[in-house]
Amino acid sequence: MNKLLILWIVIGFSITAYSQKTVTGQVLSKDDNMPIPDVGIQVKGTDQGITTDFDGNYLLKNVNDDAILVFSYMGFKTQEIPVGDQDVINVVLETDNNTLDEVVVTALNIQRDKASLGYSVAQITSKDANLDIVKENNVVNSLTGRVSGLQVTQANTGVDGSSRVLLRGVTTISGSNRPLVVIDGIPVSGGGSGATAWGGTDGGDALSDINPDDVESISVLKGAGASAAYGSLGMNGVIIITTKSGAKKGGIGISLSSSFNVQDIMLSPDLQNEYGTGAFDQFAPIGDDGRPVLDYPFAWSWGPKMEGQEYTNWLGNQDTFTAQGNPYKDFYRMGNSITNTVAFQGASEKNSFRLSVTDQKSQGIVPNNDLNKQTYNLRASSHLTEKFNLDGRVSYVRSNVKNRPELAEGPSNTSLQLSLMPRDVRLIDVKNNTVDEFGNEMSYANDPTFNNPYWALDNVYNEDTKDRIQGMISANFDVSENLNFNGKSGIDYINRDGTYHAARGSQAIANGLGSYSNGINKSYIWNSDVLGTYKMRFAGINLNTSIGANYRKEFGNSIYVSGRDSKTDDFYRISNYKTTYSSDYSWQKAVYSFYALAEINYGGFLYFDATIRNDNSSALPKDNNSYWYHSENASLLFSKLFGIESDVFNLGKIRGSYATVGNDTGPYRTQPVYHVSQTPTLDYAVASISGSLPATNLKPERSTSWEAGIELGFYNNRISLDATYYETETTNQIMAVPISGTSGFTTKVVNAGSISNKGIEAQLNLIPVETDNFSWDMGINYTQSTSKVNSLNEGLESVILGGIHNAGVTVEARPGEEFGSIYGTDFKRDNFGTKLITDSGDIMKGEIVNFGTMNPDFYGGITNNFRYKNISLRTLISGQYGGVFYSYGRAYRMMFGTDQRSLEGRVGGIVIDGINEHTGLANEVPVPAMLKQFSEVFSNQIATNMILDATHIRMKEIVLTYTFPKSIIQSSPIQSLSISAVGTNLFFFYNAAGDIDPEAGFSSGPTGTALELGSLPSTRSFGLNLNINF
Amino acid sequence: MKNIQNKLKRISVIMVLLTVLSSCQNLLDDIYDNPNAVTEIDDAALFTNATRNLLIQTTDIGVYRFAGQYAHYFVAGSTVRKHDQYLDNFDDEYNEVMRNMYGGVIRHIEDVLQITSTGDTKNDVRHAMADVIAVMGYAVITDAYGDIPYTEGGKGKSEDILTPKYDSQQFIYTDMMSRLANDINILKNADPKDAYPRSEPLFDNDLSKWVKLANSFRLRLAMRVRNADNTLSRKVVSECLSEPLMENPSDDASMIQTEGNGNNWYSYKTGFPEIKVSEKMIDQLSNTSDPRLPVFVSKNAEGKYLGQLNGLNDVAFGASQFGKKSNMGDAISSKDSELYVMTAAETWLLRAEASLAYDGDAVKANEYYRKGIETSLKQWDVEDADIVSFLASPTAELTGTQNQMEEQIGTQMWIALTPDYFEGWSYIRRTGYPVIAERTDDNLERGVTNGLMPTRFLYSTHEQSTNGTNVDEAIQRQGANKIDTPVWWDKN
Repeated sequence: MNKLLILWIVIGFSITAYSQKTVTGQVLSKDDNMPIPDVGIQVKGTDQGITTDFDGNYLLKNVNDDAILVFSYMGFKTQEIPVGDQDVINVVLETDNNTLDEVVVTALNIQRDKASLGYSVAQITSKDANLDIVKENNVVNSLTGRVSGLQVTQANTGVDGSSRVLLRGVTTISGSNRPLVVIDGIPVSGGGSGATAWGGTDGGDALSDINPDDVESISVLKGAGASAAYGSLGMNGVIIITTKSGAKKGGIGISLSSSFNVQDIMLSPDLQNEYGTGAFDQFAPIGDDGRPVLDYPFAWSWGPKMEGQEYTNWLGNQDTFTAQGNPYKDFYRMGNSITNTVAFQGASEKNSFRLSVTDQKSQGIVPNNDLNKQTYNLRASSHLTEKFNLDGRVSYVRSNVKNRPELAEGPSNTSLQLSLMPRDVRLIDVKNNTVDEFGNEMSYANDPTFNNPYWALDNVYNEDTKDRIQGMISANFDVSENLNFNGKSGIDYINRDGTYHAARGSQAIANGLGSYSNGINKSYIWNSDVLGTYKMRFAGINLNTSIGANYRKEFGNSIYVSGRDSKTDDFYRISNYKTTYSSDYSWQKAVYSFYALAEINYGGFLYFDATIRNDNSSALPKDNNSYWYHSENASLLFSKLFGIESDVFNLGKIRGSYATVGNDTGPYRTQPVYHVSQTPTLDYAVASISGSLPATNLKPERSTSWEAGIELGFYNNRISLDATYYETETTNQIMAVPISGTSGFTTKVVNAGSISNKGIEAQLNLIPVETDNFSWDMGINYTQSTSKVNSLNEGLESVILGGIHNAGVTVEARPGEEFGSIYGTDFKRDNFGTKLITDSGDIMKGEIVNFGTMNPDFYGGITNNFRYKNISLRTLISGQYGGVFYSYGRAYRMMFGTDQRSLEGRVGGIVIDGINEHTGLANEVPVPAMLKQFSEVFSNQIATNMILDATHIRMKEIVLTYTFPKSIIQSSPIQSLSISAVGTNLFFFYNAAGDIDPEAGFSSGPTGTALELGSLPSTRSFGLNLNINF
Repeated sequence: MKNIQNKLKRISVIMVLLTVLSSCQNLLDDIYDNPNAVTEIDDAALFTNATRNLLIQTTDIGVYRFAGQYAHYFVAGSTVRKHDQYLDNFDDEYNEVMRNMYGGVIRHIEDVLQITSTGDTKNDVRHAMADVIAVMGYAVITDAYGDIPYTEGGKGKSEDILTPKYDSQQFIYTDMMSRLANDINILKNADPKDAYPRSEPLFDNDLSKWVKLANSFRLRLAMRVRNADNTLSRKVVSECLSEPLMENPSDDASMIQTEGNGNNWYSYKTGFPEIKVSEKMIDQLSNTSDPRLPVFVSKNAEGKYLGQLNGLNDVAFGASQFGKKSNMGDAISSKDSELYVMTAAETWLLRAEASLAYDGDAVKANEYYRKGIETSLKQWDVEDADIVSFLASPTAELTGTQNQMEEQIGTQMWIALTPDYFEGWSYIRRTGYPVIAERTDDNLERGVTNGLMPTRFLYSTHEQSTNGTNVDEAIQRQGANKIDTPVWWDKN
């Protein structure tokens, strides 16, 4: 290498005589003094330029003495160096912490200068978001509060729970609304799951398999302008993940990363400690067997005041009647998570690789809820020739989760049971008395829809194991300086095996007969792309045009067996069940596409690009399955155009974008069919017709959007602002609209309706202090977005998106209203809104009303990064203002009398504020507190008091890192060493809902934050992380 | 030369592109069809589905939560007893019941009616059998709601009718009776080979029994309109009496649900909320020493027959020791207990009523009445000796005024209809027998009907929002959408 350098120098000297000369040199990074390949070197004011080679060397011919060379590279500060009489210009580039003026990864993994883009893109590096330090199980959770327009919430659903991910709000009524996830250019499965109000478990999130340690950067393409190149896949935006590749090291480098954290309860409901089991201030009647008869309402906490008096407890034993404190603390354990990663990386002249292995073991707060995950990842690339290089990645993830907690109304939801357990019941009694002499479950209540939480822990079991393989290969061929071909193919294969069983003996589950199920799901997504790019330069214009094609195939296959009524105990195989059921299912879908892109740059200040794409989908009707999408984007650097750039005002850019993208649908929705029923006991055939009528003329959904934005930079980007306004209208919504059951069918798949999204996104970055020893930078992001339903299918008043049946509460889409409006029953009121009260002092059931939307008025986050010498402190505060949710958990606790708030009016009753329905005079009649709650929650299902404000500000993350100075580690083989203390989800600065976390729903679907039902306590975590590089 | 080469090159590029395009399209077409289902099927498989659904429907939530409790056969616990308290805030359930009735029987039988009336698959015999099932399906829906979509109902797929108009119950009943007359004529002379050999869940393709079923059901319909259109009722009854009717339990239209979890009453009995037999039923059976007591009722843990009083308010229910009350008997609530949609016992009792009401023939009426009781006892495999002694008891003898005799018939009908509780409720609505007393006691909940037995289900808000104009028209015609608005034939 040195010889080569000398040679260059010699050549360099030998041509100094000419006015036009050749300049050579090497570009190094200031951080580690390593060469940087692919640095762009351009002669300022011309289109003459070149990039550094693999060793950071360059050679630029025909340079004038008065030329200025511009050295730019993604993530580094651009340097301008006048050539003068130098022939060798060696440059050391400094890393650039400013987010503006950078190269970002855009659609189809094309790297572009952010200044040239006509749409909003946010790129977060691993370092920015502490990805490899905090190590969220789902890497997308690390983006919460960091990217405007991106909303990530995680419900409390145990280890490996899924996250709700939305970009620019909800655009489609029936789709998942989750953005497309692309890893190293290959789209992967990104689905989430969750429970329903009736119960179930959160089956996890496909994004959880992305190992945070392997991620280099994440690019978020928010709007259609950015994602149009993905056609029908890109409608909900795109998250592009770039994994780490082999870095430039002499020889082989080894990185070790080790982290350990613990989780404990951050928030649980406030329970009262004054009244115990019973109803009407009385103990439950004692039955013939000497045990209290704990039918409802006597199994609730509306009994006598607990004053240490003697009474017969639920076991029939004499006991003292005293409060038992917070059951959550004793029932749940401290969770923990240990993650270790070792990565080897290396590079030679032509080849580089990075190989990593990560082991993660986590234990949730619910005893038995464990995660065990291993990730193997290999990324390698090779320059086979000067012009031809190959890049590939293969990763294997094996993840095993035991006992995902049951949620919501599910009988084994321990959190719900604990919150309703009469306040005098001793947890130790519950633990020690789970099964009676006949093998049946014992409980402190005769309501067999609820389990004894300890019985559930011991007897209900689920486990799932996922094997996931991703492979990608990419070939790049530079035919000439102007012509380039790229071919890519990648597959994402998932095999998931899930089993569930429950022992006999609990009325709540399979009528006490025991049940079992086992399901195996295989699926893959396979994508192949070819792309040719031709670059032209003429008359100050740079024109890049590309033509490409894509073929995508999705496939799924599942086999499921279930049985109930077990023959012998403790044996969980299908043969052990008297009634069995089995099913298999398979599906496939293919889309092929052609696309073209053009990108024009005039004078380095005006940029225009356009995309056109044609998709052909097997999920659409055969003779009408081809659709076109397009986008046009423009960007103008007016500061450059008008030559007003200075140290004070260094960047001024306006941009605009217009695009149409689409969204097709799942397969098999366009053709009527008959299903043959599985009828093992019948000797004749039975077939059925699905209740959903197919749409024989289905079209893709169509989303048209525009956005305009401005980017400003002051004081060399120490103050920078990026603001966007966007509007999107999504029409031809594909939805299975509910139809009158009298048609014989329940839904019909149609294209109908329209949703409008509008929003403002802003990101403000500040660097108040920047010195060698101390720096402080700050980022503030703000998002305001609405998603309004303009219309539905003609005549259709509402689409119900979710709800809690027992509470009469629904989450709906109604024309003219915000998507996700929460509907429920209000009190009966007069024309002035005053409650009407009966003669007995009770409320009455009123109208069903809209209580507001789940969507926040605005949300955002504030990051602060402080660095003093080798210590850095990075913090993230996230929050939202506005939005409501309905808590059936609190309604339940009020009705059962366990909630702190249920203490009101225990003595003397409650005089409800309102007027008598007959006299019109102010109500003066008190109603007993228990009857009031019973009437409100149960008899009349009034939602009003359980609609809670979701406004909150949360201390999301604090990371304190100490990097050992080079002077200390110099003598060791260690190249860098850092240790971090990490805290996440630490506390609320403010939480309008008090003792309920507004993000603690039970589903990660689009309406997941609208409903809460007996959620698990929210947790915070503390941990340590060690990173060593050899 | 070079030009030609270039042209060849271009042509070959275009050809390659075309080949790629067409093979891409083939790739899509190849995977277009759903591999998990078929696009064509023998209508027999749909006929079996509809027929089975008709029987399974006798155990759905419309029966378990509403009709069975309204007719005071049993009481369910927990939240399901709100229905027994004559409340009406069950919007989702009203919708579910209607959806299931149309989605189970009607959706599939309409497809059969279409397949068997057109093209190569046209078959009059199959069409007539399917028509009987369709009529039986619609009868239950109109009995539950009153006016319903009938001529346009269930035609979402066949005729793309998504908002079917409602027909008056009067029209529906008249039409159903005429359809059945037509079906009977076809089936009387039909060759079983043309029917559903080896694909008929009720009578193993015995068409003579199908004639009896259709005719007995027609008799039920004719008696149903006794107070609403007496002339029509008399005319149709006399026609029915001249055709074969069900006479023995072997004629009964019944089925054992062997699939899935078996008979739903078993699941309800062992599940939650529990169901306990009503005090009214246990009192009736034990006061008359009816040998069906151990058939329909199980002894409780203490070996007693203990019934639950219907309609208790929440406080009284809390103190009622509900858990100690008797479960349904194993004969009607085991996994493999039979389900019934029409029985010979009911047919005899209908004939008893007809003789009394239309012929004024108390002797004939008594003969049929006793025949009805005897057939019911045989249906439940009661020992011959017990049959003899029960038939010798005063309960088995019609006495008194016509009203008293009709009440006797009604009480026996109520018992004999077990476990077709829905029909029990319809029968009580029409005749007022057995008497379901108005609830006046303080410990009873009077609900939204002032303590009177509800007389119909509500049109759900879902139905009103998806088919509003037509529902409104029906409400205009029929009366307010309330659970105590009587349906057309309910003139009692």
